[in-house]
Amino acid sequence: MNSPFPFGFPGPTAFYLTLYLVTFLIHALFMNYVLAGSSVLAVGAVLRRDTGPISALLRDWLPFMLSMAITAGVAPLLFIQILFREQFYTANLLLFHRWMSILPVLMIGFYLCYLLKSKMVRDWPLIARVAVGCGPFLCFGFVGWSWVENHLLSVQSAETWQRQYEAGTLVFRSAELIPRLALWFVAAFPTLALLLGWQLHVTQKEDDGWERADAARRVAIMGLAGLVLMAIAAGIYVGLMEATSRDAVLGPIAAPYFVVWMIGATAQGAVWALTLKSGRLGTRSLAIATAGLTAAFFGMAVVREATRLGRLDLESLYAKHEQATRVGGFWLFLFFLVVNGAIIAYSVRLSLTARRPDADEPEGETMPDEAKPEAGASS
Amino acid sequence: MDLPPYYPINDFGPAMKGIVIGGLGIFHVFLAMFAIGGGMLLCYFEWLGQTGRCPGAKKFVDGYFKAVVLVSFIVGAITGVAMWFTSIQVSPRTIGFMVHEFHWIWAIEWTFFSLEISSGYLFYRYGPKLTDVARLRLLATYAIASWFSLFWINGILSWQLTPGSWGDIGADTHSVWGGFFNAGFFPSLIFRTITAMTVASLAAMVIINLMPLDRAGKTDLINKSAHLLAPMIAMPVLGAWWTATMPADARATLFANIVMLMFLGMAVGSSVLIGLYAYFGLIRQRMYINGPTATLLTVLAFVATAGGEFVREGVRKPFTARAGLYSTSFTQVELDRLRQVGCVTNDPYPLQNADAYPSDQLRLGAKVFRFHCSVCHTYDGANAVLHLAGSWTPDQQRLNIAQLQRTKTFMPPFGGTPEELEALVQLIRWKSDGSPEAWPVSDDEATLAQIQAWLDEVGTRPGIELIHGGGAAEGGH
Repeated sequence: MNSPFPFGFPGPTAFYLTLYLVTFLIHALFMNYVLAGSSVLAVGAVLRRDTGPISALLRDWLPFMLSMAITAGVAPLLFIQILFREQFYTANLLLFHRWMSILPVLMIGFYLCYLLKSKMVRDWPLIARVAVGCGPFLCFGFVGWSWVENHLLSVQSAETWQRQYEAGTLVFRSAELIPRLALWFVAAFPTLALLLGWQLHVTQKEDDGWERADAARRVAIMGLAGLVLMAIAAGIYVGLMEATSRDAVLGPIAAPYFVVWMIGATAQGAVWALTLKSGRLGTRSLAIATAGLTAAFFGMAVVREATRLGRLDLESLYAKHEQATRVGGFWLFLFFLVVNGAIIAYSVRLSLTARRPDADEPEGETMPDEAKPEAGASS
Repeated sequence: MDLPPYYPINDFGPAMKGIVIGGLGIFHVFLAMFAIGGGMLLCYFEWLGQTGRCPGAKKFVDGYFKAVVLVSFIVGAITGVAMWFTSIQVSPRTIGFMVHEFHWIWAIEWTFFSLEISSGYLFYRYGPKLTDVARLRLLATYAIASWFSLFWINGILSWQLTPGSWGDIGADTHSVWGGFFNAGFFPSLIFRTITAMTVASLAAMVIINLMPLDRAGKTDLINKSAHLLAPMIAMPVLGAWWTATMPADARATLFANIVMLMFLGMAVGSSVLIGLYAYFGLIRQRMYINGPTATLLTVLAFVATAGGEFVREGVRKPFTARAGLYSTSFTQVELDRLRQVGCVTNDPYPLQNADAYPSDQLRLGAKVFRFHCSVCHTYDGANAVLHLAGSWTPDQQRLNIAQLQRTKTFMPPFGGTPEELEALVQLIRWKSDGSPEAWPVSDDEATLAQIQAWLDEVGTRPGIELIHGGGAAEGGH
């Protein structure tokens, strides 16, 4: 592991690792929106400040984003079983009921998102509204915590697995758990800020005036706070992580990506600082922030993976990865990936353009009436 | 080394692992059928509405789609992921083996699943504001994508029973497409497609009864949705076709095993009842059907699905993949090796309650039970060894377990040493006696020699070969 990722690995291992990371990034895009977005709604519900355009957008889009997060999550879940089957399966088995409980919890969170979106909740007593407002975040936070715990257990030694099994405990305690979870949580905010920025940019009209600038500033604060907290959390996590992981993160395999991550974060930070000052979300600034997020996202994903790669005896897995490449079907997968991707793009275009003459214009589609706040209301 | 991988095996208590995965699987399959058939039904109704053949059709389409999104997109999607996770809990070796061999098929299925969800949400969100052409295109995209999800998964599932020309499990390379387009692929695919149409049609009748329409409007919609029940007439032929493609021993298990017959009876009986009601009541006489009756028919469809899925799972025994992976998660080569070195000699995981056993022999027996039996049996819950073997004499237990594949042909051969077998027998006897604090160690050399003789006599090939010849394990019949 003396070369930058994915060089230094045999072809099959590099191939599946790259595929895993790319598909994971797609999943993480939606996941970040859901995790950070549900926390914003939870805070809004507790503080009773949940009537602004940002809250309205989040309530409107969370169910869809969650569905896409689950759908997009299938692919990395598939490739992790090719790459780290024994480790992943063992961690699943050791956590048993505790791990399986993420499924009903996810379902509850999903339905709560729909409930949050419905108009009937507005007439409920305050305590019920707060509970529904916080529910999705608690559910998704639990799922996130479980995944982090599962990952940390999967990279342990066989002796640790045996002790964990013998003890029969369904919780794995690790000093890395909280810092790692905290890092992923705060790192979700720059993604949320960017996606919200685009949504506001596309849906709001010129005459929205004051609310438009206010929402833009709030998004910028979200992005900036996320970036600053992410840097702090990353520093703490690197300090606390196991030595072999730290060596990998700071070594040749991930160091270039660390730099890419920093450059991407700086670009985003600059855009959000300017947005905070001007109160405007322009296409150009959002495009720069998008490029920054893409770079940061990819850099961060490789650094994240390096923490695992540094700990496992990868050479013992090379033969299995090589065997997997001999299984047929890849070219057909590639074909359908392109074709179905194109049909998805066409379907989106069709939905935005092929309107009945008596239907509303496309803009404003994602901004329900409730998004028009009363004077002074904020998200 | 030719040894199977060892995983930390969990105890499901009184629940049989097969029932857990089967129950979840049936639930998921039923929801998936609802979504797949729903796509076809919605296309049909959208066309009826747009051509003026059914005035209430468009309103129904938007209402039905909400049910698809709220039920299938949420519970269906999450139970799909749950199937993977539960499979890992029940038999990590099996799911790992299948994922490895068919990961590109699963990846292809994922692209269709993504298309299904995307087009579905777009229709859900924008459908009411779109032109007729756009609505129909989105619905057709959704219907085709969801059906293709079935297409790809069906190939993997039918391969489990009829591996076709996939090849030998020990070979370096296998023919993925030879396995995918196996003998059971087409009958199974067409059968499942008709099942999906049936489930969607019956669910539609429940939803129609919940809509604020007058009796005439509801009757019209119900009679139109009953059109999707017409293909049920092909089910007997398809069932016979699928049965004919089965390996001979699996077919023998289906018709000779009372449990399998019971599940088959559930599937056939429920389907016949639905079919008769559909043909005489809904299609010929164009009757109205109220909510409770529609719900009852939907429940019958669920029972039919449950019976069919249990049959599909059951007839694979003693394998989880007929290509050569026993339900005990070892291959034939590994079984031969385990007979020599022992099945738990290399198991690194200790017992979770080792102190509960009064001797090392019983602790060994508990590890053998965990590795060899617990995937299908419990101690005293569902399908319990104490109920099945507790009343046998010690020699009966030794002989029947040593020649397990002869005792019941759907059982895998015992994959362990005489010492391990004797430890298992003592564990069963100790448990049957109420787990006393002291238990004598059984290490009589003559007994172990007798067990070895019985093991040698029956060999390591599966019991299905005892009556169906040497090719049975490969599913070549």
